[in-house]
Amino acid sequence: MQLLPMSFRPSALILVAALAVSACTGAGQPAASGAPSAQGQPVAGGTVTIPIGADPTLNPWSPNAFVESLFINRVIFEGLTKPGKDLAPAPDLATSWTIAPDGLSWTFKLRDGVKWSDGKPFSADDVAFTFNDIVLKKELGAQNAASYAAVKSVTVVDPTTVRFDLSRKFAALASFLAYNSGIVPKHVLSADPLKTTSFNKGTPVSTGPFKVEKYTSGQSVSLVRNDSYFGPKPYLDKVVFTVVPDPNTQIAQALSGDLTIMILDNKAAVDRVKTASGLTVVSRPLVQYYWLALNQTDSRFTDVRVRQAFVHAIDRKAIIKSVELGYGQVANSPITPALKAYFDPSLSEKYPYDPPKAKELLAAAGWTPGANGVLQKDGKPFQFTMDVGQRGVLEPVNALIQQDLKNVGVIADLNTMEWNAYIQKDVVRRDYTATVNWWTYPSDPDVFPYYHSSAAGKGFNIPGYQDPKLDDLLVQGQSASDLEQRKAVYKQLQAYTSETLPYLFLWYPQEIDVLSSSLQGVPELGLRDAVQYIGEWWLAKK
Amino acid sequence: MVVGQEVVRFLAQRIALGALVVVFASALTFFFVNLAPGGPASVMRFDVSAEQREALIHRMGLDRPVPERYVEWLAAAVRGDLGSSLLTDEPVAQRIGERLPNTLALAGSALLLSVGAGIPIGVVQALRRGRAVDHVLSLLSAVGLAVPVFWLGIVLILVFAVSLHVLPSAGVTGVASDSLGDRLAHLVLPAVALATTILPTIVRFVRSSTIEVLDEDYIRTATSKGLSPRTVITRHALRNALIPVVSAIGALVPRLLGGTVVTEAVFGWPGMGRLALEAAQGRDYPLVTGLTVVVAAIAVAASLAVDLAYTRIDPRIRLT
Amino acid sequence: MSRLGVAALAILVAVGALALAGPFLWTIPPEATDPAHGLAGLSAAHPLGTDELGRDVLSRLLHGSRVTLLVGVAAMLAALIIGVVVGAIAGYSGGWLDAVLMRFTDAMLAVPAFFFILVVITVSGTGLATLVLVIGGLSWMPVARVVYGETLRWKTAEFVIAATSLGVPARRLLASHILPQAIPSLVVSATLGVAFAILTESALSYLGLGVQPPIPSWGNMLQRAQQYVFTAPALAIYPGLAITVVVLAFNFLGDGLRDALDPRRRR
Repeated sequence: MQLLPMSFRPSALILVAALAVSACTGAGQPAASGAPSAQGQPVAGGTVTIPIGADPTLNPWSPNAFVESLFINRVIFEGLTKPGKDLAPAPDLATSWTIAPDGLSWTFKLRDGVKWSDGKPFSADDVAFTFNDIVLKKELGAQNAASYAAVKSVTVVDPTTVRFDLSRKFAALASFLAYNSGIVPKHVLSADPLKTTSFNKGTPVSTGPFKVEKYTSGQSVSLVRNDSYFGPKPYLDKVVFTVVPDPNTQIAQALSGDLTIMILDNKAAVDRVKTASGLTVVSRPLVQYYWLALNQTDSRFTDVRVRQAFVHAIDRKAIIKSVELGYGQVANSPITPALKAYFDPSLSEKYPYDPPKAKELLAAAGWTPGANGVLQKDGKPFQFTMDVGQRGVLEPVNALIQQDLKNVGVIADLNTMEWNAYIQKDVVRRDYTATVNWWTYPSDPDVFPYYHSSAAGKGFNIPGYQDPKLDDLLVQGQSASDLEQRKAVYKQLQAYTSETLPYLFLWYPQEIDVLSSSLQGVPELGLRDAVQYIGEWWLAKK
Repeated sequence: MVVGQEVVRFLAQRIALGALVVVFASALTFFFVNLAPGGPASVMRFDVSAEQREALIHRMGLDRPVPERYVEWLAAAVRGDLGSSLLTDEPVAQRIGERLPNTLALAGSALLLSVGAGIPIGVVQALRRGRAVDHVLSLLSAVGLAVPVFWLGIVLILVFAVSLHVLPSAGVTGVASDSLGDRLAHLVLPAVALATTILPTIVRFVRSSTIEVLDEDYIRTATSKGLSPRTVITRHALRNALIPVVSAIGALVPRLLGGTVVTEAVFGWPGMGRLALEAAQGRDYPLVTGLTVVVAAIAVAASLAVDLAYTRIDPRIRLT
Repeated sequence: MSRLGVAALAILVAVGALALAGPFLWTIPPEATDPAHGLAGLSAAHPLGTDELGRDVLSRLLHGSRVTLLVGVAAMLAALIIGVVVGAIAGYSGGWLDAVLMRFTDAMLAVPAFFFILVVITVSGTGLATLVLVIGGLSWMPVARVVYGETLRWKTAEFVIAATSLGVPARRLLASHILPQAIPSLVVSATLGVAFAILTESALSYLGLGVQPPIPSWGNMLQRAQQYVFTAPALAIYPGLAITVVVLAFNFLGDGLRDALDPRRRR
């Protein structure tokens, strides 16, 4: 039976021809993968083009600043600190800081002689304004405000000194100040901090190495070198962020040389990109982990053996291989390998893929095989619904997990939902049984907001897990005064959470970055952190 | 052009009707979107605390009842104020205004392409009806209509942008430069893809309309009088054949506008279709409603323009 | 009917048979994942290869055909029902009801359907029922026009006037006498309607708003495949081709039927 009438052969042929052509043009020299080797002395000049998914909002505190705004905001706005190349907080607008003996106030010394891009001087007033009038003003609903719940107020001590007064000890403050916490100008935004559109959607006033030259909606935001920048003069002349919403189109543009550096969201294309000449592909660590939350208000999930069984049942390495193309590693705690100072690698082999062991644990918890091999207890089958938000890799991941659970006799039905409605149901109303998602957080092991019992219900403790011992460890981590103390506490925390599994830890993803081979000077960090060093990037002459 | 009383009355009627349609569309959209689960994207974020959420919802006035908010919206809209986008705080009219030219450029080029290519193709098919050329062109037409436009878009990008590097893959204009040439180059692939949604229909119309006219007595008379086929066609047949085509085009405008949504998504074209998708997903209520109003208004205006043109071209038609 | 129309019918019958019987003959479940063998090429076990999660493409194509055809036919039926009701009432009643209903129909025709479908689906969720209702709810207008025309035409026929004078109620008149005259046109509209519904569903699925995974439909297979267009373009070819073939067949069938059933049309 002819299922392919003549008229379709032409289009199929063209496609095959196109692929053949592209394979040939790409087969010239395979580009080196791994870190690009620094070649010679930095040269000044050139434009770097980076794609973003949608029009950005140029104000780090606006609730409308989504993922696409991160890049630009981190380039143009500076915070008191920035993530160091080892991810520990490094000085930025603040040159040093001291913590009071009782841990309840921090004093930051600010850099002298910093100017805003409109020429006006930067001072402690701007810092106080940013925090007192925006972040800490609850009714504004500023983004990221939740990170500063421990801050009572910010006081101006003198034009180059500010003091943060806290309601409790907060060891991570310096790290959090490096995370999407750019200082904004009081003299421009005091009238309307979050809705001044000439700022948010136009040309904002900023302190960073580059400033916004032109904002063309739906197309691009171009930045030029800020000549009143306080630091060393950046090498690049311009940075252009182009709006390219479709990931495939981003790849196509990278392949045709229209982009300088991008994050490869669609990891499946990595092999194709690797064969292109003129491009380098690298992998970078991220402070991110995927998890499966089992709602602790459901009695089936309160038995730790059930949670451990699930983790044994899920073939996490297979998920990483298939969905992340191998760019990731199995997770057994909330601290990611990127936080080198704290990460405990000894937990990496915990919970190997072991369906028989999973069944054993489930049996110990009272679940025995019933009809069709489905586990049951007291006559009720082990069946529930997992809500799947439509974003990123969640759909295929859930399909794989569903299959893995089925293999041990647990039936998970998938309810796929549009992201917005999913948030409404699972996060706002907490009306869910099980769901997969991820956390990204600042480069600090302080995971209090996601694990403390006070954060259950309405806070970020999605599973609603409540454990006084865990609470204790979390508070200790926040109050610890020196690095060694913190390391010890967080080592304990990792061991404890991997045993008790408040969330079922799945994996730590890595980021794949694609860059033009002529781009040099990019530190080995995820792109969202690397852009904070954009002053050091340079383009080698071809 | 003398505007008779008839025309004025017709116009007035149609405009009134059109306005009703637009208001109806706006009400439907407003209620639908506002009653949906979820909320504005700035509120529906994983990293937003319950406190922030409540504060934002209150600031946006979303804790008030829907009918109250619609009346407020309508009152402002009538005065020309379509409100502010919830996701960017810019005026809705401005947001739409930024995107409208792009969609019009895309839809307009696709229309020009379809008409410019469709008429000759249809005429050729009519003249050579029943022969191989006719069959082949019909088949191609049918395929064009059946191929999903986004699939075609991806294939076009793969062939022309990625493999052959002759045309750009996305966006309105080049990153480095912005000349007319750049703009035209960026317009080619999306316009071609979008054109396939209406070109086959236009061809069909032209073909059958031309056939009908060619078989009419007065054409036979002209040919028998010794006029060359070329003169017959251009002077007599074509003009009359094109009359129903004009109204067909009018009927196709809504389909064209609808097609821009997917085409803009594939080619990263910053137009209203994409804006509508983002606004709906982000529950940007004022923007969605504003967009519906504008799109409905355009469709109504296009239909009105076509009907008016129709009456000018065909003197036999009376305005009813 | 023309040869092309017959050929189209044959293809559709074949596709229908595959949709019905296929899953019974080819028993690999469409949701069985096998990540170790993702994106595999053609093989005896997987004649069309596997997708990114190792699921059998042929199986998904077969199961997807059921969903795609189901949504297409159901949406067309919904459009048919609404269209017949509106057109028949408008045509038979005359007067202001006629005017209102037909103006409403014109208004709906003037509005770009896809924009509305987009908004409605984004907000009312993506269940199959919603999908069918929404697509049907925005494609009934041509049917209404056809039925309206037919009703007007036959309203004044002798046998209808005779029946009215005998006291036959309007509803029965419409159902038993007038509407059957419209059946040929309705059949044509129906076949074209299925084609439209399938294209609309696949476009919605491409945008992530159509049939939701894990249920396979040709449209959502294309959405997933888009990610792999650089490494495994075949994944996008099969569903795209399938949609094109079926839509083409329905269009040809519609044309063939129209030519066969309407003796006044000349080729």
